[in-house]
Amino acid sequence: MKDLFYVLYYPCDQIRDFAYDYLEGKLGLMTGLRFRQHLKGCPECQDYIRLYEMAADPKQFANENPIPPEFIDHTLKFLQEKGIVGEE
Amino acid sequence: MRGEEGSDPFAEVNAPEFLARLVKGGAESQKAFGQLVRVTHDRFLAFVRRSLSSSDECQEVVQEMYLAVHKGLSKFEGKSKLTTWMYSLAHYKICDKLAEKDRAHQELTESNEAVLITGDYSDSFDPVTPWDASADHVLARSSVESLIVEAVKALPPLAREIYQLRDVDGLSGEDAAAVLEMPPVNVRVQLHRARKFIVRYVQEKMKDKSVQRGASRS
Ligand SMILES: [Zn+2]
Repeated sequence: MKDLFYVLYYPCDQIRDFAYDYLEGKLGLMTGLRFRQHLKGCPECQDYIRLYEMAADPKQFANENPIPPEFIDHTLKFLQEKGIVGEE
Repeated sequence: MRGEEGSDPFAEVNAPEFLARLVKGGAESQKAFGQLVRVTHDRFLAFVRRSLSSSDECQEVVQEMYLAVHKGLSKFEGKSKLTTWMYSLAHYKICDKLAEKDRAHQELTESNEAVLITGDYSDSFDPVTPWDASADHVLARSSVESLIVEAVKALPPLAREIYQLRDVDGLSGEDAAAVLEMPPVNVRVQLHRARKFIVRYVQEKMKDKSVQRGASRS
């Protein structure tokens, strides 16, 4: 009953719009409390916030399509030819 | 929970002593410039390649950015971090390159305006061709992580740049705003929309997958 109260108190849309401030740690005390209470009673918003957190986390880009070493070699050579970078 | 400022992956080249070496002239500067390239190159190439699909164009833009850094160093006053300034130069070079390609330029300005006005681009999935999509390194398409990477490619150009600066490269809101010459509050709003778009994209794709699985079972 208590969870239902909080689900009704803040609609899901509004909870999801708090995601940004939640990640920044900038939800006020009362808003933060209501936010967490809503999440406890709402699996859809739990899923949403979990995905939002993943979207804001650069970890998944760490191994994405790495740059082949030829590219930096090419750039260094280009800049060496212009006299901007010294010869190794 | 994330703070506004992450740790600076470029701390080494953003130190005032490093800038002093860069502008000193002679062999010392050449050596320091080489170090600058080694520290920053791959991050900047990754930044550029989210906006440009051809690897030749990406390389060209990054090289032009370093030329602009070299040319502008004497006037760089160190009011921002060196790398924040470099992001601005890269941003300009990307815009120049897109302007060369008329259609792409139109897409950039129109979609930026549309996004800024309506803030809604949920129907504008327009994936940029993945660069070197045939490489073994491309992540398996099944995971949420790879769907996020895919969703970023489907963001409109400006939103993609903001997302890249803030969430991938870890610039603060203030620095990203300086790079793109827009008020920090707009960066914040656009970043939130970009993340919401990504979440929606992932949810839709996951729904499609579970429907497909259900269909193949029956
Ligand atoms: Zn909810």
